[in-house]
Amino acid sequence: MSIESILGTLEWTAENSLAAASQWKQASGRRIVGSFPMHFPGEMAHAAGCTPVILQESHEPITVGHGMIYPFYCGFTRSIVDQACKGDYDFLDAIMFGDHCVQVLGAADVVRAKLPNTRVHFYQLISSMSDPWSLGRARETFLNLKEGLEEMIGHSIDDEAMRASIRLFNRNRQMLRKLYEMRRAGDARLTARQMQILVKSSMIMDKAEHNRLLEELLAEFDKTRATAQRGVRVYLSGHFCQAPKTGVLDMIEECGGIVVDDDLYHGQRFISTDVDDSIDPLDALAKWYLERNLKVPCPTRVDQNADWENYLLDAMERSRADGMIVLMAKFCEPHMYYYPEIKEAFEKRGVPHLLIETEHELNSFEALRTRVETFLEVVKRQTAARRIAA
Amino acid sequence: MNDLILPQGKKANRLKTSSMNNKMVNDYWTDVFNAKAEGKLVCWYEGVAINPLMQAADIRWVHGEAWSALLAARNNEQPAQTAAEHRGYMKELCSYARTHIGCGVLAQNRGVEASGSSFSDALGAGLLGERIPAPDMFISAYPYCSTGQQWDEMLFRLFGKKIPIFNISVPWVWGNKPDAMYLGGSEFNEAKQYMVKQIRACTDWIAQQTGKKYNWDKLSEIMSYTKTAGRLRVEAMELCKAKPAPASFFDWTTSLAPVNFIPGGPAIVDYFEKTKAEIVQRIADNEGGIPQEKYRLFWDGIMNWNKIGWLANKFAAYDANMVAGRYTHMGFWHEFESIDVENPLEGMAVNYLVCPINLSAPLMIEQIIKLCKHYEIEGVVLHAARTCRAFSNPQFLIADAVQKRLGLPVAMIEGDMVDESFYKDEIVNSRVEAMLESIEARKRVGIAA
Repeated sequence: MSIESILGTLEWTAENSLAAASQWKQASGRRIVGSFPMHFPGEMAHAAGCTPVILQESHEPITVGHGMIYPFYCGFTRSIVDQACKGDYDFLDAIMFGDHCVQVLGAADVVRAKLPNTRVHFYQLISSMSDPWSLGRARETFLNLKEGLEEMIGHSIDDEAMRASIRLFNRNRQMLRKLYEMRRAGDARLTARQMQILVKSSMIMDKAEHNRLLEELLAEFDKTRATAQRGVRVYLSGHFCQAPKTGVLDMIEECGGIVVDDDLYHGQRFISTDVDDSIDPLDALAKWYLERNLKVPCPTRVDQNADWENYLLDAMERSRADGMIVLMAKFCEPHMYYYPEIKEAFEKRGVPHLLIETEHELNSFEALRTRVETFLEVVKRQTAARRIAA
Repeated sequence: MNDLILPQGKKANRLKTSSMNNKMVNDYWTDVFNAKAEGKLVCWYEGVAINPLMQAADIRWVHGEAWSALLAARNNEQPAQTAAEHRGYMKELCSYARTHIGCGVLAQNRGVEASGSSFSDALGAGLLGERIPAPDMFISAYPYCSTGQQWDEMLFRLFGKKIPIFNISVPWVWGNKPDAMYLGGSEFNEAKQYMVKQIRACTDWIAQQTGKKYNWDKLSEIMSYTKTAGRLRVEAMELCKAKPAPASFFDWTTSLAPVNFIPGGPAIVDYFEKTKAEIVQRIADNEGGIPQEKYRLFWDGIMNWNKIGWLANKFAAYDANMVAGRYTHMGFWHEFESIDVENPLEGMAVNYLVCPINLSAPLMIEQIIKLCKHYEIEGVVLHAARTCRAFSNPQFLIADAVQKRLGLPVAMIEGDMVDESFYKDEIVNSRVEAMLESIEARKRVGIAA
């Protein structure tokens, strides 16, 4: 398959997540376990013989959901509630939550109420990452999740099956990271939209199938030589549970930005850390949970050993980015709390950044374009001035 | 519009004992202001009432929500909120947190402790937000709401990550297993033991901060007063089943301080003894919490501290007695019976776990239904606090349940805890009036509550 045709297949999955999952259920006969972002260990559901699917914000307007949730919630939470109210999740065999953002907790209650015949479970992961009991508590939570899955499938999940799933998922993350490296180095021309498609489709598609397509894609990229790109090198940060709208990503690049790296959940954050396949699987998952917050710090966690702002400054240096665009989903509390730390650190270091607040209902797109154009122009001039001074 | 439910300019008949509460609150904050001068360590914290843990170690404490609520109730919240906004905190963030963090920014800005102006001088000058002493430690123990833990984390970072912090993670009482029930079931029992383990570790950590052995006898003594105060408060509230109800939700809101952050001691017991006596006397005199009780309502959601007096009088004017509420009746040591004063940690854990936001909707709704039945409620007001998603989360499910299971009309109103700008009075009026009309219509056709 050509690069275009592989990307086309993955794009359809990414953009039609529930239809893709439903088709896969029909074809494979496997149970589908829907989960919330951002810390659910899909490996475990996979080892249970199920296909884990991370529930996505829908492109549909939020309508009946507003009868169950106030409008002052993030677009992701409102969309999840809306989809549950519309019956979109009826085909799922279970929904399992693992995060702790207060808005997600609210959505969990509504989803359980709206799906009385579906196994809707909640496994709350410890969000304080540097306490003496953080690792042990994370392991206990994963054990509870394992027991919940075993109860659903009617038999135990053996350690070897867990290790096999871990290896499969590690392989997937490794290939996606390889593509990121190639883009950073200029060896693969992948737009921000395409990178999102690659990662988002991994959250939905059967992992073995996704791996097969990624292997083909990597082979195709190995055959081609990327031409150099000109433009302002941009780092994208933020947007946790939901994928940024692809139109916004396109617009940044249309305005002259080249997105070279990110810490988006539908990006580096999702693929940053592998699970150790040589130790007890529950120990390994607990370790993975804590380690990934050190790899790419998450503002939904409190961690005395991690500083997101310093991580971002270092990541920008590594990727030779000239400016950072912060994509903040409106009403995202964890992001709103942490943003002043980033702002202060970036201003102190003189690194330019632009904050964009995004919404489910994308209004004033043209005003956004003007802001991005202006920002990129400023960055371009500052970068040129720095080069002359150097 | 029925003329019987138009506002008549009547005012709430507040409990006389509430003036004692004001004095206790002022004295308490004066002690906090003087902490540094008296050589006491100061702990900043949010969420559940862990203050007995600090009191037993002779540490003074600043409860973020209590402090923000006090600033709002006394029109002194603006300087702190503006300071937070200047640092980049957005308006959609928890207004309690914004106000408290704003106080942290003010403390950073001034660099030294504020001069020794008195409580009343600072209040008069609109500078109350600058008066709290900077923290020597943080303890985070926030149930349900992710905002709480992050709020403490941001304070920790604001003060340069130099001030020690201890995190207690409070598990949400969700109920995956079939044995899940209020105060029971395997998940609840496990959560309780997990909490006990963390609270015990917290006392060890406190001992490290003070350099003194933790005083368990003192904690038992404090919890003995707290348990008695909790019992007296619940007994007094339950007496409001009487018609007319001798006190309102707004009275109980005003009376939260002694079971939330005032030091555990004889004063808080005395306060609720006198409150209960006043309730008993009012029942004997057939005296209600409002001049004329025509409707009995339930308040779901957190309080709007900017508007507490305003709302109390508004509902009094509608002859609507707000008899009970989730905020006041489902928290603040209401499960006093679970406290064993000789070994108080488990009982403390129980009360923290079943606070008004930490139950998942099915468990929470059962408790609300019980309260509505006990107090013979006729309508439910749901206050959607714009920046408190923790309280707002289950409100559509609650509204649905009370309508379907009890046939109660509801009014959903928007406001906030301490950000006045989210409150829209005319919308409140029209929604409340519509609900009262509905109650009136039900009465006309003979549907009893």
